[in-house]
Amino acid sequence: MTAGSQTAGPEPGEFEELHDELRAVARDLLSKIPPPAPADWGQLAASGWLGLEVPDAQGGAGATFAETAVILTELGRAATSSPYLGAIAGGVGALLELAPSAGRDELLRQAAAGEALPVAVLADGSDESIWAEAGGVPFRLERTPGGLRLRGHAGFVPDAAEASTLLLLALDAVGEPVIVDRRPGPFAIGLEAQPVLDSTRRLARVTADGAEVPEESVWRFAGDPGAAVGRLLDRAAVAVACDSLGLSEAMLSATVAYAGVRQQFGRPIGSFQAVQHACADLLVQVSVSRELVRAAVARLASRDPEASVAAAMAKAHASATAVEVAGKAMQLHGGIGYTWESGIHVYLKRAALNRSLFGSPAAHRRRLAARYLGWPGAAGRR
Amino acid sequence: MTGVTGAVAEVAGGPARATALARDLGEFRAQVRSWCQAHVPADWRTTQAGVSEAEFAAFQQWWFRELRGAGYAVPHWPAEWGGGLSAAEQVVLYSELAAHDAPRLVLAFVSIHHAASTLLAAGTDEQRRRHLPAILDGEIWVQGFSEPEAGSDLASLRTTARREGDTFVVNGQKLWASGALHADWCLLLARTDTAAPKRRGISYFLLDMRSPGIDVRPIRNAVGESHFCEIFLTDVPVPAANLVGPENAGWRVAQETLGAERGMTMLELAERLGNAGFRWLVEACSRAGVLADSLVADRLAAFETEIAGLRALCLGLVERHEAGTAGPADASVVKLYYSELLQRMTGFGTEISGVRAHTALSKPASSGWESGAWMLDFIGSWEWTIPGGSSEIQRTIIAERGLGMPRAAS
Repeated sequence: MTAGSQTAGPEPGEFEELHDELRAVARDLLSKIPPPAPADWGQLAASGWLGLEVPDAQGGAGATFAETAVILTELGRAATSSPYLGAIAGGVGALLELAPSAGRDELLRQAAAGEALPVAVLADGSDESIWAEAGGVPFRLERTPGGLRLRGHAGFVPDAAEASTLLLLALDAVGEPVIVDRRPGPFAIGLEAQPVLDSTRRLARVTADGAEVPEESVWRFAGDPGAAVGRLLDRAAVAVACDSLGLSEAMLSATVAYAGVRQQFGRPIGSFQAVQHACADLLVQVSVSRELVRAAVARLASRDPEASVAAAMAKAHASATAVEVAGKAMQLHGGIGYTWESGIHVYLKRAALNRSLFGSPAAHRRRLAARYLGWPGAAGRR
Repeated sequence: MTGVTGAVAEVAGGPARATALARDLGEFRAQVRSWCQAHVPADWRTTQAGVSEAEFAAFQQWWFRELRGAGYAVPHWPAEWGGGLSAAEQVVLYSELAAHDAPRLVLAFVSIHHAASTLLAAGTDEQRRRHLPAILDGEIWVQGFSEPEAGSDLASLRTTARREGDTFVVNGQKLWASGALHADWCLLLARTDTAAPKRRGISYFLLDMRSPGIDVRPIRNAVGESHFCEIFLTDVPVPAANLVGPENAGWRVAQETLGAERGMTMLELAERLGNAGFRWLVEACSRAGVLADSLVADRLAAFETEIAGLRALCLGLVERHEAGTAGPADASVVKLYYSELLQRMTGFGTEISGVRAHTALSKPASSGWESGAWMLDFIGSWEWTIPGGSSEIQRTIIAERGLGMPRAAS
């Protein structure tokens, strides 16, 4: 592990006893915001959820990704519309990987306070291959006689259009990954909203076509840049996996509750084995997702070098399971489930979008399978 | 071989909690590793292929003694009886045994798990003193629960035990008694009150298999093996001292002891599936020349993901058992998931290996449920989805007890 951002970090598990309380408070607060109404960002800031991982010195709680993951899961459970994914899972995560500086620390402080919305632009969401292979950095810095210029594009970036600051992942002139900080004004970046069916998410395409970049906007990673990029991509994938897990739990519980009260043939439909067994299968799948997400979160929080395997598993499983659960929820709610008013479509759309964000299940399984070719037993050994 | 299994075990990666547990267990892990390297016979899969029942039993008894010598045979027992490893140490032990492809304790399974946990939870001091040391010396137990008319509906069992003074006289028939041919003792459920509601008239006995009136007949199963047996009981005398728990409380005793160790025994099986099982699946794909095929790679990665989930589920069950917070359907979730994953994995191994999978006419005795003889493993997987509460029963338990859904009409 490289030095730098590791100084005086919290111990993994240090905050575990706070999870139940954090979860309960978040569940209560978020349940009062009917999607797709956007959450009040100031309220999220006041609750301390924006700066969970921000160091104490910058007004944060100095906790770990494990605590952020609790909020991410609750946001999924309530299908909350907010820029938490782009700004906190993404932006704050990226800032924490950077070498400390006055500028970075101030941005972290503002992010924790809800005064700034730094959104990370890590990958081109229209390119699936980046999760199968290394080196999907979306932007390039070129050194020209006129100074640094930025080129590249990234599609389907969550929350980019709402950002106060974009943190663009780029390769510098010698091919080293850096973060280019773009605040309003200094140089031209194209931002184009990309409307999607999921009304709880905002995606945008970010384009840089030779934009001038001041030297001070180029921020270097604290440790090994390649490893940092890998962690950021894993973190984004696991953040979505958390969302999908919360969403799955919400849909399963809504379905079980409905099946307990909806009567047909003189009995609650939940007493029919066809319904019971369908719900049992969902519980098994959700239980497996929960374990895989928990493992990935723990590994990311402790900066375990094996985290990317766990992240791929968690994203592949949880994001696919959520679509299955939301789909079965619509089915078992019957005609009511198919109505706009029931709101189940909101979950199904979000689940399906989650499945495609930050690497599809198939893309993450490609990452896993690439390892098998190097296994000793795989060389045709008997 | 050790290097391979070790390396694969590392990359297959257990859940983070296992890592956390293992952090302080490095020394113990190193000790188990070096013991495995010195004691697991390199050629046991070859020498144990197609052996007779007697050779199988002898090999099992030998391996049990080896493990016992190291203190690894009954790690889950209390220290005073010869065990005493912490749950975390047991997790390490089972993952290392699996990583080193050690033979499984098949013959002693009921003895060290079910018999022992019943004795420890509900037995008398005299029963414990008589049997726990004997089990360490190789006493073999069989479970006599199921009957021809009492499968999923176990409480309908009809075998009777009629009290005559200090003795019960047992009559009836038991089925699917795995390993009964080798058994010294039997965990027996029999009806002691035929007038009571079906769950309230059952008693739990320790039955000496040398008693008069016992006839054991092997039943050949779909794999072609004969470890399942029928036990015919005709006027078999059982001393009242061999009653476990109060008379007519046998159903409760059985319920309380059945699930007690499911976490750790399932964890052992999950570790097997995650080590040898998955490694062979990758090798089978490699041999078939399809490892780089994207559809095959996708299936493999899905299996690896599911195995990681299974391992974490088992570990969670172990932790919740320790903490006393296990939910009423947690063990059912694990059993259902393991058994169906085993079936899908062995089915895939069979498919991917083509006709070659059908040419392995026997599998090594003492191996796990995934021996690499894919077609036989595939057929054998029904031995997991049917007994111990079939998958259908598990789903009902999960729905009604785990999710609290309304009871199905009966």
